[in-house]
Parts: sequence; C-alpha cells; structure tokens
Amino acid sequence: MKHILVIDDAATVRLYHRGILENAGYSVDEAINGIEALEKALVKPYDLFIVDVNMPKLDGYGFLKEFRRQDDALQSPAIMVTTEASGSDKQLGYMSGANLYITKPIKPNELVNYARLLLGETL
Amino acid sequence: MAFIKKTATPIHCTEHDERHTERDFADLVAELGAENETARRWAVRDLTPLPDASQPLVARLAYEESASVRAAILNALAQIGDHAAIAGLIHCLRSEDAGLRNEAIEVLKAIPQHVEPVIHTLLNDSDSDVRIFAVNILESLRHKDVEKWLIEVIEKDPHINVCATAVDLLSEVGTERALPALKQLKIRFEDDPYICFTTDLALKRIEDGSQ
Repeated sequence: MKHILVIDDAATVRLYHRGILENAGYSVDEAINGIEALEKALVKPYDLFIVDVNMPKLDGYGFLKEFRRQDDALQSPAIMVTTEASGSDKQLGYMSGANLYITKPIKPNELVNYARLLLGETL
Repeated sequence: MAFIKKTATPIHCTEHDERHTERDFADLVAELGAENETARRWAVRDLTPLPDASQPLVARLAYEESASVRAAILNALAQIGDHAAIAGLIHCLRSEDAGLRNEAIEVLKAIPQHVEPVIHTLLNDSDSDVRIFAVNILESLRHKDVEKWLIEVIEKDPHINVCATAVDLLSEVGTERALPALKQLKIRFEDDPYICFTTDLALKRIEDGSQ
C-alpha cells in the first residue's frame, strides 16, 4: 500500500483529502504544518505529499525546499493544493520542488487521478 | 531627537552582538541598511521605542532577506501597533513571498486589538487571497462579531475559497444563527464537493453542539 502525507493547517481540508485518498486505497497520515511534515517524513518514507501553501511555522514552499535539500534521495513527488492561483505562485511552487500545482477547490476524482499519475499507477 | 542609552540593554549580548556607537533616529534608520545582519537587528530593536519608527521599519521589510531581521521587524511593528505599523503588516498579506505572508498573519493574529478596526475592510478587499487571510486572522480575534462577520462572508462573498475558509472556522465557532446561511451556501455551490463536505461537517457540528 502506498503512503501519502497530507500537509494542511485546516483540519477540514485534511479530513477531506484523507477520505478521498483512503477510499482510493492509500494509507494516509496528516501534518498540520511544514515543521511537523518534516519530522514525520524523516521517520517514515512517504510515496507522495499533498501540500498546502499557506501554513504557520513553515509553509508549503519552505517544507518542499527543506525536504528536497535534506536528502537528495528523498525524491517522492509532491502535489501543491492551494488557493494561490497566480502565475508567480505556481512558478514558486515548481521551483520549491512541487511536481504538480493545483488550485482549490479540487474534486475527488481529480485528486485521485493526479495521485495515481505521480505514483506511476494506471489510471 | 531621541537618543538611545548604551546601558539600556535588556538582553544578553555576545562580543559580536554589541552596539558600537550611540545613535540617534537618523543613524538607526541608516543602520537598517547595514551589511551586517546583527547591526540591522540592533537597529530594529533600538528604533522600536522611538516615535515614527514604523515607516522606516515597513520600508526595510519590503526587501529584508534575513529571516531573523524580518522577524524582528514584524515583532517590532506588532509592538508599536500604530496606524503605519498595522498598514505595513497588512501590506505583507499582498506579498509574493508566502513566508512573509504567513509571518504577517501570525503577527496580526497576536494583536487582535489592533486588527479589529480594519478587519471589516480586509474582509471586503478586492483580492480574494487577502479576504482568505482576513478569515484566517478572525480565528484568533475572539470578538463578539466574529460569527456575524463569517455569516456575512458565506452569504455574500462570490469566491468559493473564501467561503470554504469561512465555513471551516464557522464549524468551530458557529452557533444555530449560522445554520440558514450554511444551508444556503450549500445550495449556492451545490456542484462543489468540498463545499458540500465542509458545510455538512459544520452543520453537523453546530446541530450536535446545540442538542
């Protein structure tokens, strides 16, 4: 079973993403900000990250930059799911290490399809 | 012109973290642009109690790259809390720098007494991202009108993500007064799965809480 870490400071968003991804057959953990995500990612390997941008303590860009910097071998893909829709936000997301940048709100089948795409699974 | 006494240092100083000169306002403003990060941090610290410090601090914040100096400036602005300081913090909500935006949100959350007079303006800002940040700030406002403002948001705001953020908070602070607006929102965005999900959750929590 593939492991996914959902990183978002909004409990409802985490619950929403968790429900969708668990229904699709994935194991899901949650983190409430980038710092907690870094701590969890250091002790457990994740196959995919679903990352919000705006979070207290360490935002999504900061998490990805730090995560990619800590260990080059940790190259699990990441989807940024955020309300930030500007071109510069997307560019920053990709520069930070995101593989996909999706603007909220996201529909369940979209999230699952993107997850499968980045996990190399058959759609 | 204000003058800083060298002896009025309430924190520990290392050999490399000391003032080298006694400085007036103009010197301190100039020092905000010093090459040395520690010197800039000292300048922020020494400027903070002086009249009219907000404007040079806000000006420096726009291009300060050091995280520690930036944090010092944000904390100084929160401590000063005058019109220019709050305007400077609010301006950060429009920054392209997500880190700065989040730091500003956290600082604004910590000074609800200064945010309260401008929150209604922020909730009606033309930029939907600023309206989302305003809802985020409401979380810590502990004001008697928070629920009323959130209800206004979900009744009137055209942007789905602003409404979604308001519903998330309403599910924590909402009462039976919010139920009609939540039901109406679900009808307005009936095709959006997330709004339906979060609205159902808020309705359930409020209804369960009222029993």
